[in-house]
Amino acid sequence: MTRSHALAAAAFAGALLVPFVVRSDYTLQVLFRLFLFSALGLAWNLVGGYAGQLSLGHSAYFGAGAYGLALSTRLGLPAWPSVGVGILVAMLFALVIGGVSFRLRGPYFALATIACAEILRLSAKNLTGLTGGDVGAAVPALFSGQVVRSFYWSAVLLASLAAAATLAVTRSRFGYYLMAIREDEDTALSVGIDTAKTKLAALLISAALTAVAGSLYASLFLYIVPDQVFGLDISNEVAIVAMLGGVGTIAGPIVGALILETASELFKNVFLEAHLLIYGGLLVFVVLFLPDGIVGTIVRRRTLARRRAKPPRAPDHAAA
Amino acid sequence: MPLLEVDRVSKRFGGLRAVSGASFSIGEKEIVFLVGPNGAGKTTLFNLITGFIHPDEGRIRFAGTDVTLITPNRAARLGIGRTFQIVKPLGSLTVLENVMLGAFLHTASRARAAHDAREVLAYLRMEAVAAATARDLPLAMLKRLEIARALATRPKLILLDEVVSGLSTAEAMALAALLQKLPERGVAAVGGVEHVMRVVVSIANRVVVLDHGAQIAEGEPHDVVRMPAVVEAYLGAKFRERHL
Ligand SMILES: Nc1ncnc2c1ncn2[C@@H]1O[C@H](COP(=O)(O)OP(=O)(O)O)[C@@H](O)[C@H]1O
Ligand SMILES: [Mg+2]
Repeated sequence: MTRSHALAAAAFAGALLVPFVVRSDYTLQVLFRLFLFSALGLAWNLVGGYAGQLSLGHSAYFGAGAYGLALSTRLGLPAWPSVGVGILVAMLFALVIGGVSFRLRGPYFALATIACAEILRLSAKNLTGLTGGDVGAAVPALFSGQVVRSFYWSAVLLASLAAAATLAVTRSRFGYYLMAIREDEDTALSVGIDTAKTKLAALLISAALTAVAGSLYASLFLYIVPDQVFGLDISNEVAIVAMLGGVGTIAGPIVGALILETASELFKNVFLEAHLLIYGGLLVFVVLFLPDGIVGTIVRRRTLARRRAKPPRAPDHAAA
Repeated sequence: MPLLEVDRVSKRFGGLRAVSGASFSIGEKEIVFLVGPNGAGKTTLFNLITGFIHPDEGRIRFAGTDVTLITPNRAARLGIGRTFQIVKPLGSLTVLENVMLGAFLHTASRARAAHDAREVLAYLRMEAVAAATARDLPLAMLKRLEIARALATRPKLILLDEVVSGLSTAEAMALAALLQKLPERGVAAVGGVEHVMRVVVSIANRVVVLDHGAQIAEGEPHDVVRMPAVVEAYLGAKFRERHL
């Protein structure tokens, strides 16, 4: 077991013990959001970070999880299996959205993901018979008794699952395939990678994790409307969490969630609905000054320092 | 049966005939160069053979399979490796990881891929830069990295698009000496260059000369440079360049 393994295990154990120390439901709810958005950032990171496909429409899968839970229970399914339905619906959306938007590269891809999520939001608003439209839909409680605590633990578990999945991916050929696609899609094709299938696989994993987060979020509030769970805000926040911390790293989205949730807690009474301004400001700052994100910048500095300490031998051009 | 058969292949871009009626074939373990001035259609032919684009007319066969309408990733799986004229390194990955991505075509194991990648890096004399970040390499090494990544896929045929252009004569000859050993590794090669240069003469079995998308000559390097059509194509090209 390496030092980082030990550190991760200790952090996980520590996070599980928090509710025994923190008694305030309010604080636990803030921490729930922290872990929920860590999980969301990690899930997004597989597609947006490792594969370099800037999805700005992840609310499609979040909303699928939320409405999947709400609507399946209405059809008589028990609560937890309904979460499974949400996952399946999100994966179905991912197949369609990926099929449409992965044909496009760069900003066109990002725009296509926004458009797909917006179509879902507007559909949810207008299919009032199915979703209740803007009036909203009731969501069943996934827990009874010490509710907030249970939600907190679920979010910790989900974030850990997302981190473990990311770790497994980075250590596999699949993870290398994703990075190759990010670095140069033509090169990826030239070494035999089926880039379309690989991107879709990453999106399916990402969508499944995102849907569980959507279900948890919806069930904590017990009531959802389309603008909230299918909205641009969710899509943006998920992407910002990952980019702020550093795309293509495991710690990045967790650090990003920590900063973003702390900031929005601190400023929410000052700025009220001005959170969009904060998101925008943070994003501009990151893009301009920390293009690798916080964790990414630290990692890069360290690698550079290590390489300077031990420079590679000059290549032997004349050798033949 | 030849390894690669390009049969009366044509490709237009709008009104421009980038390749018109190209026909040639490559045998196993052969080294052939496509020679032609800038814009002659060499890169377009490489893109056609690897399925990055598809011909308007003609057929392409590889190892007995019709690959005319193949996808690029399937072409790689069949054993056609390629480099890119404008180098396309996986910039933020290390040199070793770049080459591992080629090796992953035949193994899912990271250890196995790293082992195979190191063997290819040794062949191309690149061990010293294995841990360097790809985007930090000088051009001569980036050109070699293109070759290393393609070779790691264990191709039967490798397409080398201008791998010596931009290199000093010493660098080019050093690379040529390495490429000469490709047949020993069981790999045939088709190179693309703008001029019949020392490298070509020293390692090519055959040369196919292209001009304005059309194939104007084919033969041994020494004979081809004396053919009137070839002389005309190059003098013409020089003349046009000077008077543009
Ligand atoms: N994707 C493309 N779209 C339009 N024209 C192209 C494209 N690719 C190549 N061409 C044109 O086709 C001709 C042949 O180009 P190319 O195959 O790159 O030649 P070479 O590699 O021999 O220099 C050139 O006139 C070039 O401008
Ligand atoms: Mg070219």
